[in-house]
Amino acid sequence: MSRQPEVVPDDHAHDPAGGPSAPERLVKRYDSVRLSHGSGGKLTLELIEELFVSVFSNEPLRELTDAAIVDNRGGRIAFATDSHTVKPAFFPGGDIGRLAVAGTINDLAVMGAVPAYMTAAFLLEEGYDMAELERVVRSMKATADEAGVAIVAGDTKVLERGHGDGVFINTTGIGFLPEGTRLGVGFVRPGDKVLVNGTLGDHGIAVMSRREGLDLAVELESDVAPLNGLIEAVRQVAPNVRFMRDVTRGGLAAVANEVVLRQPFGLRVFDVAVPIHEVVEQYSEMLGIDPLLAANEGKVMMIVAPEEAEAALGAMKAHPLGREAAIIGDIVRKPEGVALVETAYGTRRVLEMPIEEQLPRIC
Amino acid sequence: MTEPVAAAGAAAGMPEDRSYRPETYKDPALVAELKTRIAELAGEIGRPVKLMHICGTHEHEIGRFALRDLLPESVTVLAGPGCPVCVCDNEYINMAIQLSLRPDTILCSFGDMLAVPGSIPLEGERRGDVRMSLLDARARGGDVRAVYSVFECRRIAEANPDKQVVFFSVGFETTVVAVAAMLKRGAPDNLTVIEANYYTPPATSLLPELDGFDIEGFMLPGHAVTITGLRVYEHLAERGIACASGGFEPVDVMASVVALLEQIRDGAPTVANPYNRLVKYDGNQKAKREVEEVFELAPIRWRGIAEIPASGYKLREAYARHSAARRFAGQLDEVALRGAEHPKGCRCAEVTLGQIRPDECGVFGKLCTPDSPYGPCMVSHEGTCRAWYVYGMHKEKLHVEAA
Repeated sequence: MSRQPEVVPDDHAHDPAGGPSAPERLVKRYDSVRLSHGSGGKLTLELIEELFVSVFSNEPLRELTDAAIVDNRGGRIAFATDSHTVKPAFFPGGDIGRLAVAGTINDLAVMGAVPAYMTAAFLLEEGYDMAELERVVRSMKATADEAGVAIVAGDTKVLERGHGDGVFINTTGIGFLPEGTRLGVGFVRPGDKVLVNGTLGDHGIAVMSRREGLDLAVELESDVAPLNGLIEAVRQVAPNVRFMRDVTRGGLAAVANEVVLRQPFGLRVFDVAVPIHEVVEQYSEMLGIDPLLAANEGKVMMIVAPEEAEAALGAMKAHPLGREAAIIGDIVRKPEGVALVETAYGTRRVLEMPIEEQLPRIC
Repeated sequence: MTEPVAAAGAAAGMPEDRSYRPETYKDPALVAELKTRIAELAGEIGRPVKLMHICGTHEHEIGRFALRDLLPESVTVLAGPGCPVCVCDNEYINMAIQLSLRPDTILCSFGDMLAVPGSIPLEGERRGDVRMSLLDARARGGDVRAVYSVFECRRIAEANPDKQVVFFSVGFETTVVAVAAMLKRGAPDNLTVIEANYYTPPATSLLPELDGFDIEGFMLPGHAVTITGLRVYEHLAERGIACASGGFEPVDVMASVVALLEQIRDGAPTVANPYNRLVKYDGNQKAKREVEEVFELAPIRWRGIAEIPASGYKLREAYARHSAARRFAGQLDEVALRGAEHPKGCRCAEVTLGQIRPDECGVFGKLCTPDSPYGPCMVSHEGTCRAWYVYGMHKEKLHVEAA
């Protein structure tokens, strides 16, 4: 496989003499974001140098050129972008920074690419807490490091108070496709197995519980995580992975329906095989929400050749992000173009294509 | 009438404790046993039997677990008037829309209700007889907020003392309890409610009056009868219609069908309680008391059906200052409040009464889909059309051909 990106250690974020780090000094000076931080003047430069450059810390970024110049690692390039807003910005198991970095990395990784570089654009609301921004940025750095990705360029705009919602982040990433990567719905065949790397719906329910101030008996954490490591581990033992997609908003139901759309095969999910966290199950039932439609941020659905399914499952389970992985279904000849659920009672239903954000029902 | 023994529940091995035990309520072996029992009873009855549930959640769960596939051909379970969103009269939706468009007002509603069109035409829409919903009002600048509970609405009212905060109180016997509890414990003056809470038992007594009515048993709504108890359905048994409480797990639904078929086979209609782990024959006394303190029963229009006496909860005089209808009397466009019940071609009324299947309506799945609903039964998750569409109940049985 290709080389890991050259991530330089976080050498500017801490003062070796033990004094306050650059970001700490910035937070001390400005307790909240001002309009001038986005004006392109002195305050903008302070924000960039003392926070973004010092935390993200890599050579291309440190140059502060108009565009980052990076190495070409060969092969074709995968290129993805994603914008993020989440309420609340910090939730059990993660925050908007981790979400923004992992989201784009996962989009690249499911295409079979090795994610390498990323840009980050911030839309900040005037008055946004500077210390919170620092936490978000550090979380982005930690997530990028975990995935071996460098955040090499960025942008900051500040919106007038009342015209934003704290912080919006756009990330754009590029990754390199190893020679001979063959992935896509066109490779899927009846008999293939459908895998996921763990419990479904954790993120959606964790965020919703925090947003609505509902107390869960057991703290539930979002699954937000970069999946490139897990995906690479699986593909080493299962070279005939046919198709992958990260399971995000709309849940498994959305991904399953996208796969079968206008295809000469169907996707069957065995209800009892789907891993669901006990708290997610109870909470979903209470509010009338289907965990198969709830959001995830650290899950991938893989369609794998049947003879490699067990090996793929083993590799998933051996990875920290796949301990509760399972084979949850298969590709069937008929019905064509339909995603369906086989229930524990031997009955079948269509797997609903999500239509809008799920809201708790009246009764 | 004495309290019937929960024969079916006991026979089905239903646990008597009240703890959450999905391993029992979802047990495939128990469901298989009940399936066999239903087939036996259907054989003993020896003719087609129609049953009806009157709860949107029942239709939803029946669809989610495809439970109709477990019933013999001679046993039909129809969906009746069980969706509060679907029976909520135009007048209340139009009132909510008008209020939401006032600059001094915040309109709070359950999410289900936001997309339901009333009868105010949506300007600039060329798709046919399309009417405005609260979402359209929001797009036109109305402050419309989805809330999870009436207590959340109270917090919004407290945080916005200079605004009028209106709670669109839609629902059946269950949701009205929370509204009563909130008002009784004190609500700020700027909080009013649109009184669109419906009381089901009088509507069920209307059904047998309809032409061609041939329902032999009612599966009673588990949540609602947890509050009201079962006594309020004795009038149906007295008319010769079997009744049984129905919970929402697969085992509960199947056990309720067993209880109904047993009564039909024996020609001995009563009000059985297989969902006895939650439902008491006399209901939840405390909840009933609080509701009665705050609300009284009055006539209310059921959308597309009729005005039914004593089937709506209206605020008592002592709480009338929290009535949106009273607070804003004379300030609303009275003409716009009323209007044709359902859009042209929409057969929600017949679907709601169980007179036709959703796929017998000409616009179902064509002009009317969940992402672009035409009638109320397609909007709400409680709606019969919605459940049929999303779970593919209108499609032929799903035959799978593996690799």
